[in-house]
Amino acid sequence: MEKVRITKRILTLTAVIGSLVILAMVVANTLWSSRQAVSATDEAVSAVSAFYLEAMAERRAHTITNQIDNNFEHMEMARVFIEEEEIASQEQLRETLGKIKSLLSLNRFALVDEDNVVYTQYTTYTGGSRHEFLSREKMEDRIVSAVTQYGSSRQLCLAIPTPGLIIMGKPFKACFVQIDMADIVNLLAFDDQGKTYFGLYSKNGGNLSGTELGPVISDRNIFDATEGLVPEAVWQETRDHFAKGEAGRLSFSSDGAAETLCYVPIQNTGWEIAVLIRESVIQDQIREISERSMSTSRNQFAFTLVATLVLAAVLLAELAALSNDAIEAEKKTSMTFREIANTDSLTGVRNKHAYSELEALLNRKIEEKEIQRLAVAVCDINGLKHVNDTQGHAAGDKLIKDACAMICNYFKHGAVFRIGGDEFAVILQNEACDALAEVLDALNRKVEENVKTNGVVVSVGSSVLTQEDRQLRDVFDRADQIMYERKKELKAMGAKTRLY
Amino acid sequence: MKPTLQKAKLLSTLMAATLLFTAASSASHADSKTEILSLSETESVIEVGANGETAISKSAESVRSAVDFEHELDSYKPLKDHYSFYFTYKTVHPWWDAVALGMEEAQRQFLDKGVTITYEYMAPDGASADDQTEKLHTAEKKDYDVIGVDVADEAIISPILDEMVESGTKVMTFSSSDAAEGCKRIAYVGNTHNYEDGADLTEALCKRLGYRGKVAILVGSKGAPCHEDRARGARDTIARYGEMEIAAVEYDMDSVDLAYELTLKILKEHPDLDGLVCCNMSNPVGAARAVIETGSRAVIVGMDHDQEALRYLDDGVIYCLGVQDCFSIGFDTLQVAVKIADGNLPGRLFPEKTDEITTVIYQEDAAPMLALLYGDIS
Repeated sequence: MEKVRITKRILTLTAVIGSLVILAMVVANTLWSSRQAVSATDEAVSAVSAFYLEAMAERRAHTITNQIDNNFEHMEMARVFIEEEEIASQEQLRETLGKIKSLLSLNRFALVDEDNVVYTQYTTYTGGSRHEFLSREKMEDRIVSAVTQYGSSRQLCLAIPTPGLIIMGKPFKACFVQIDMADIVNLLAFDDQGKTYFGLYSKNGGNLSGTELGPVISDRNIFDATEGLVPEAVWQETRDHFAKGEAGRLSFSSDGAAETLCYVPIQNTGWEIAVLIRESVIQDQIREISERSMSTSRNQFAFTLVATLVLAAVLLAELAALSNDAIEAEKKTSMTFREIANTDSLTGVRNKHAYSELEALLNRKIEEKEIQRLAVAVCDINGLKHVNDTQGHAAGDKLIKDACAMICNYFKHGAVFRIGGDEFAVILQNEACDALAEVLDALNRKVEENVKTNGVVVSVGSSVLTQEDRQLRDVFDRADQIMYERKKELKAMGAKTRLY
Repeated sequence: MKPTLQKAKLLSTLMAATLLFTAASSASHADSKTEILSLSETESVIEVGANGETAISKSAESVRSAVDFEHELDSYKPLKDHYSFYFTYKTVHPWWDAVALGMEEAQRQFLDKGVTITYEYMAPDGASADDQTEKLHTAEKKDYDVIGVDVADEAIISPILDEMVESGTKVMTFSSSDAAEGCKRIAYVGNTHNYEDGADLTEALCKRLGYRGKVAILVGSKGAPCHEDRARGARDTIARYGEMEIAAVEYDMDSVDLAYELTLKILKEHPDLDGLVCCNMSNPVGAARAVIETGSRAVIVGMDHDQEALRYLDDGVIYCLGVQDCFSIGFDTLQVAVKIADGNLPGRLFPEKTDEITTVIYQEDAAPMLALLYGDIS
């Protein structure tokens, strides 16, 4: 199996893609979990809200029943109080009614005589057409009725018969109170603190309280408002419940919002009280809590994400830095090895290996006509063997170094290579070729002087690239030939040399 | 393994662990008076104001202005802290119950200002000048500050009022019927344009019938000024059109049942009857019942705000109704009574006749008027 080499690019990509995949998984998981939680919450709330609504409706029904019972109880007390009073005039009757009103907190407490004349604290009026219960031929039991006065003022009328009550010699047949429906609504609203909608309804769905049962039903007849919103059978069943004074529940959607209402009968009234939650207050509250929790979670997630990204960035930066250091070190080592491989250890100039690399490069350029001007100088140290033989290798090495230094000194713009024990090659390119002749003259003059003073003697031959040359070797060979000719000349001048 | 790679591996492990923790953490958290009403294309709202002038509004605004429930006492400061009044009206009827509510509101407001007003507000079960006469004589003997009268029969009652005034009793008239011209009563609060109301309703009917046809007039109580004036306005209007004729005139004595029976009788005698002018509150209710029962095409115009009549208006059985502002009548009556009790006479503080408006409404105004006056109880 072939071993995969881990590069910097692969490492970086792996880190980035890995991080993104993990992040995507975290986000997807978070969203999925959120939806699951919301769905589960909705289901739970739906079940809970029904109980909540039913309990609330029953509590309110109980509140109204209590108020009605309390009023009836107070009216009975008032009746007894009046029977015990000796009322001889209308003024006394009004005074008594005033006392009852303040002592028993009875709103608009009134007495009715057998001619349907109504007596209140401030007025006496013929009330046959004003109070519906007076139209009954016989009044034998308590009466609870909702009345709408001219001007749409809705009132709860509670009446009891007063058999045997005689005031100022006149038989009185009933007493009654009228409670403003707004007071009852306020009482119920206090219990609710505005979290739900509610309304009091007659058997036929008429709104008795004048309150809005949510934006859809509003203050309309509940059956008119819900017709078409729920299946016909459900709607009819609700009508039956109202008619029979039974409890029930109704759910519908409008404008995408779910509404649920529960209704329960109010004892001895023939009314129903309906409580409605739009989109469910419980649901909203739980959602609010959930939102807060989600918000905290999101913040935590965001914080962790940022921290992770920062951490990842630091990690990647460190990895990159480490990688760069390693590469740099490798480059440096490589350069060192390359330097060692291409440098002559004795003289410090490039060696035969380096010359061969350059020769290969220049051959390609010559072949492709990329190079226009090039010259090669071949240098050979005279008398090296003689020095080695007579003065030792250390003196020989010194001679090589001195010769190299002289060659480098004269060929400042050329590349100097030691290609043999006593042989150097200098390659000149482009502008460096311009001064070739001058450099050679100067060097040769110096060499001729050194012949006389027994100094360093170097034989130099040079040649320039021509159109016919196919490789560097062609130029080199011509320069080498010239170098030998020069060596002969120097020998003739007295220089010690070795001829091949 | 090189130290660099060891370090990278450690950091990667830490990062992955952090992300996994985050995912787990997130998942665990998830979870007057100018009443302008709506009009049909061919109708106009007619408002009759003071001095009987008629204004025709071209646009509808709201039925709410037909009855003004938002009253406040004026700046007059009563001289006493207690007043006692006696009011007598024509008959026990919802129309006067509406007036009573206006009175009660004024009484409440006076009470808030520390002025106690007690009063009696009495009527017979059926309109009766004799009963009213008896009531007035009884009341005169008691120490009431002011006696208010909705005149049952101006010919009979007006002289009695004069006698009472001459004997020092402070007498005013109110609601729909004033006393006869020249009566010495101190002031009147209520409808001052009954003739115009009758004429306007009849004009609307004539226009609807194309100014030709046979019409019957239903009146309320015989001798009741408001009813008689409206009937007179109806007669005069019909007389202006040569092709209109009055087929019958009947009195229902403010009884819906009688109005119904009379209408049946008229329709039997005149099956081709084209219209009915109803001059009181009970007339249009009885007439509408009879028209529905017989399938007659007679067009009904009538008076007042009876809930059943408004539903007939809504259903198109009644063509138009003249609605009086009863609440204002009641409120202003009590306010003027206090001023009269303090010895004031008509002038700067109150006029000799405090006029209250009548607004003619049509089918499209019926539902809002029902809501305004009777709420949404169906």
